[in-house]
Amino acid sequence: MSDMRDEMLRTLDRIVEDTVTTALREAADEKASGGGAGQGDATAALWAALEAAGITAIGGGGEDDVAFADAMELVRRAGYHALPVPLAETIIARRLLAKAGLAAPSGAITLAVPGAGELPRVSGGALAGVIQGVPYGRAAAHAVVASQGQLHLVAIHDALMTRGTNMAGEPRDALDLARATVVASVSWPTAAGDLEAEGALVRAVALSGALSACLDHCLTWVNDRVQFGKPIGKHQAVQHLLAQLAEETAAAGAAADLAIEAAAVGPKRFEVAIAKARAGEAAGKAANIAHATFGAMGFTREHPLHYTTRRLWAWRNEFGSEIYWQAEIGRVAAQNGGAKLWPLLAGEVETR
Amino acid sequence: MPQFSFEPVVMPPEAIQLRQEVRAFLADEIQKGSFSPAVGSMVEGDEAFSQKIGAKGWLGMTWPKEYGGGGRSSLERYVVVEELLAAGAPSLCHWIAERQSGPQILRHGSERAKRMILPEIAAGRCYFAIGMSEPDTGSDLASVKSRAVKAEGGWRITGRKVWTSFAHRAHYVIALVRTSGTPDQRHYGLSQFIVDMKTPGITVRPIYNLYGGHDFNEVTFDDVFVPDDMIIGGEGRGWEMVVGELAFERSGPDRFMSTYPLLAEAVDELGPDPERMQAAEVGRAIAHLATLRRMSASIAGMLNDGKSPVTEAALVKDLGTTIEQEIPEIVRRILPVEPRGVSSDNGYADLQQLAQMQCVSYSIRGGTREILRGMIARGLGLR
Repeated sequence: MSDMRDEMLRTLDRIVEDTVTTALREAADEKASGGGAGQGDATAALWAALEAAGITAIGGGGEDDVAFADAMELVRRAGYHALPVPLAETIIARRLLAKAGLAAPSGAITLAVPGAGELPRVSGGALAGVIQGVPYGRAAAHAVVASQGQLHLVAIHDALMTRGTNMAGEPRDALDLARATVVASVSWPTAAGDLEAEGALVRAVALSGALSACLDHCLTWVNDRVQFGKPIGKHQAVQHLLAQLAEETAAAGAAADLAIEAAAVGPKRFEVAIAKARAGEAAGKAANIAHATFGAMGFTREHPLHYTTRRLWAWRNEFGSEIYWQAEIGRVAAQNGGAKLWPLLAGEVETR
Repeated sequence: MPQFSFEPVVMPPEAIQLRQEVRAFLADEIQKGSFSPAVGSMVEGDEAFSQKIGAKGWLGMTWPKEYGGGGRSSLERYVVVEELLAAGAPSLCHWIAERQSGPQILRHGSERAKRMILPEIAAGRCYFAIGMSEPDTGSDLASVKSRAVKAEGGWRITGRKVWTSFAHRAHYVIALVRTSGTPDQRHYGLSQFIVDMKTPGITVRPIYNLYGGHDFNEVTFDDVFVPDDMIIGGEGRGWEMVVGELAFERSGPDRFMSTYPLLAEAVDELGPDPERMQAAEVGRAIAHLATLRRMSASIAGMLNDGKSPVTEAALVKDLGTTIEQEIPEIVRRILPVEPRGVSSDNGYADLQQLAQMQCVSYSIRGGTREILRGMIARGLGLR
């Protein structure tokens, strides 16, 4: 681990410790607050602290920027902490803008990835169309959007159409692109697919962090909770559950690493597909194990476990569920045929 | 909190080049009809094939040259192992000897054992079996009852081993026996011996498996003499030896690729335009295998650095055998698999049936699921 990475991660840990209280998590959680508390106000101090530490400005390339792998470790740690701000989105958006040769604005930047049949239309210098489920669409000042063959940076202050949330209460809003201002556009033939893949990459990496958090929560609990006269972690049935949780956590981590490494040199859709498919599957299993381990306590609002498990459930769906990515992997395999399956697995077949 | 780390490894250029060499060689062998891809390379053995691999310098690759090895890295060896499995090559003969017996002898064997045995393993001419289980000793390995007593210049072993894979064709068996103490003293007093299968007093009786294959044996030792310098690691260090072998035994691609040839066949059978759920089933298996490759290579890297990642190896084996066992299930979910017997040529359907019957053993051999999960729980600090 590089010194810079270590330093950055410790900074993030410290900010979380100082800022992310249960009250903040509750206020930021739209499922609990019903949106009334104003997510933006609650997390403004957290975002300001991250900004002051320089953590929100990484990913854009340039001389002072951290390596891509280091940036992805920040995303993983943010996932671990169930951080209620669009840090992952901002990091990956800045990376895309840098690749497109566009200057990144300051502040939060989100990704507006069109669903099937949602690809925005371009006419004149403006965009038209609605994109659903944009992460933190209400809080971010800018979004990176794809249209047919182009990547755009748009200002979205006035584009918010409907507020929505994912299962974890994270804002997932609908944007009306006709009300957004196009700041810059660049030709990028595979923009829509790449935007989706980069989104899937950060979700896979964040899932890996959230899985680690899940394992930590469970280990603490089974060592503390006593039933039948001993900590429940001393019971073999519970030990075997946690062994499986550790396996899934390790597998998701390795799958995310695989994609991070491949993506460092360019969009690697096939490796991202593997990571999102494997981490997504791990997420479902892990959430089940965690809730089995915690019993009724883990099913309460009061216990913080749900900040992690609801994110596992939400994130595995976002930017393509595991079925979506598995099917894509399977189609690539089918097109290559059985004889080329092994070279494909060994990363030797060009898949774009 | 304890969590397991699988640091990325970078394949050196020589390993990348070697992969192409091995693949070309295997394609050529298939072309020449020297073998046809099988499910579970570890159940098909061909002496001539093992000798060809040995002549190529692809056995004992990591061992020093003075013992017939290649002085190469664990990552290069990893590549060879993967390619053999991917091709479904008949590698059973040399498998155990090359994977764990050789490394064990290299690290803990006498000079004579090293000089006599290692070059033969590396040449693909010398095969091993592992004598651990007994009629009353399965997962509870420390309960072995076979016993060796001291004799002039060596030891005399008496006892019975079962489920001893490949003993009927092996030149040596490494037997775990008690040299002092009693079974209730558990790990104390156990020793590992290299026993020449030609020694008088050894009887090998086949135990056929559920589909009629002959892999298992019962091996009876009746006052079998073993010279002093054929003890591994010294008297009373048998348990330590067994544990040390585990990272080699459990982390390799043979713990997740046994049914890979079936998956490749199924992909061909599906054709270029599968339905969504068919594609997803195949894609899921690929995502698992790609992830396991990375974890297993990471362990090869740790072994290369002289570490003994026993818990990480247990984790890879449990995950790996799970997907190996799922592949026959996946294939029957996405393709028709009617029972048409295993002798006629039905392509993927034959492979599916064989894999179906074989794969139940994957989570037993080399440590059961329950034992592995117990080890992982210990690694998590729960035991």
